[in-house]
Amino acid sequence: MEVTDAAVVAQVLSGDRDAFRVLVERHSRSIFRVIYRMTGNQQDTEEIVQETFLRAYKSLERFELRANFGTWLYRIAVNRTLDFLNARKTQMTKDTYQIVDNPDAELSNQVQLSDAAPGPDRLLLSAEMKRRIAGALGLLTPAERVAFTMRHMEGRSIEEISQTLKLKASAAKNTVFRAVQKLRQQLEPYASSGPQGAPRGGMGGL
Amino acid sequence: MNHLSEEQIVLHYYGDAEEASEIERHLAACPECRAEFARVQSMLKQIEPMEIPEPSAAFEEKIWLNLRDRLPVKGGIFRGLFGPQQKWIFAGVMTLLLAGAFLAGRFWPRPVQPIGQQPAQVNPQRVVLVAVSDHLERSQMLLVEIMNADAKGPINLSSEQAEARDLLDNNHLYRLSAQQAGDPQVARLLEQLGRVLAEIANGPSEVSPGDLQQVRHTIQSEGLLFKVRVVGSEVNSRVRRPESLSGGSVNQRL
Repeated sequence: MEVTDAAVVAQVLSGDRDAFRVLVERHSRSIFRVIYRMTGNQQDTEEIVQETFLRAYKSLERFELRANFGTWLYRIAVNRTLDFLNARKTQMTKDTYQIVDNPDAELSNQVQLSDAAPGPDRLLLSAEMKRRIAGALGLLTPAERVAFTMRHMEGRSIEEISQTLKLKASAAKNTVFRAVQKLRQQLEPYASSGPQGAPRGGMGGL
Repeated sequence: MNHLSEEQIVLHYYGDAEEASEIERHLAACPECRAEFARVQSMLKQIEPMEIPEPSAAFEEKIWLNLRDRLPVKGGIFRGLFGPQQKWIFAGVMTLLLAGAFLAGRFWPRPVQPIGQQPAQVNPQRVVLVAVSDHLERSQMLLVEIMNADAKGPINLSSEQAEARDLLDNNHLYRLSAQQAGDPQVARLLEQLGRVLAEIANGPSEVSPGDLQQVRHTIQSEGLLFKVRVVGSEVNSRVRRPESLSGGSVNQRL
């Protein structure tokens, strides 16, 4: 029978440092995927995976053995990524301009468009839109980007987002909304499908 | 009738709006808000989850090897030293040790160095260059051994594996140093090298000719041996040049 994560944590806490390897082997791939969705860069992702495990190891005494280790680690990973994106904010702004200039930039592969029948014209349009989406995502603040990725790409609930980012639920909702609002401003003028018509102004509440 | 706000529409798309049934009713009755909702829906549906590359088979091992030496042992005999009362005892012992070390250094007889043989000031950048040069040389020897190993019957790679593990431990540090020093070419090479070292270090110690061929293929397909030779020779020449003290990346010279 497989030893539980909690039992491995207890083993590490009793002085068996090498037992931590089991947790690295069990969780590093899923953590890699989480972080990659937010950074879009393999090398940065690997660095953050390491930092995540390092932080987890150092904070292991604070892990409650009845909790789910994967969820606990996920929260550390997201916050490490957020710290990383904040630290690289200036650099990311530069990258955004590079994406527009360089269609092959790695970030331009971060999102994919629905593309049912990719004829040559359609592919050209897709590539163009893909660049615009990458550019628009690059304009989000790190918190907006992380919250949007969690909600839109991972399907995490507002409650999970607020717990992970230590925000109130209303602030988490607002962060996701601001991200979508910015994306709309950037992308709707170029949208090729969907209902036509000028954006409506001056909308009131119910 | 007031229209829905943009925030209500976006939150409703994700199922996060609090007044969902009211919004539904409003959408059913208001073509303008329905069109707005459809625009949001259409834009968001275009942003699909990205494709995520699958890390190499040795990914977990690589993470662990880079991590292992950075992890202090928890618990055991040291745990007691940091308890609320014992920490003062620990601090006292450390102070005594420091004082002892200071006095020993003060009164210990020192060999006299002849004038003209005073050690030169050590430039940390040069120290890193020397270390990277040595690292690349050792890596090159290892790769050459792998490429030339006799591929008949089961092959014992245990000594090569030990060397690869040893190199892998430092590879990460050198890559970070190269990144910080603005040497992307060296950093990229060390990244590639790290992957191959991890593959060698983490494979079985006894391999079949087919497995060996697979490792050789990885080395060849990335042109790794050639790159290690070129960059290693460049770094080595910088080590020997006095002007290398002032910096300059391999990238600029290649």
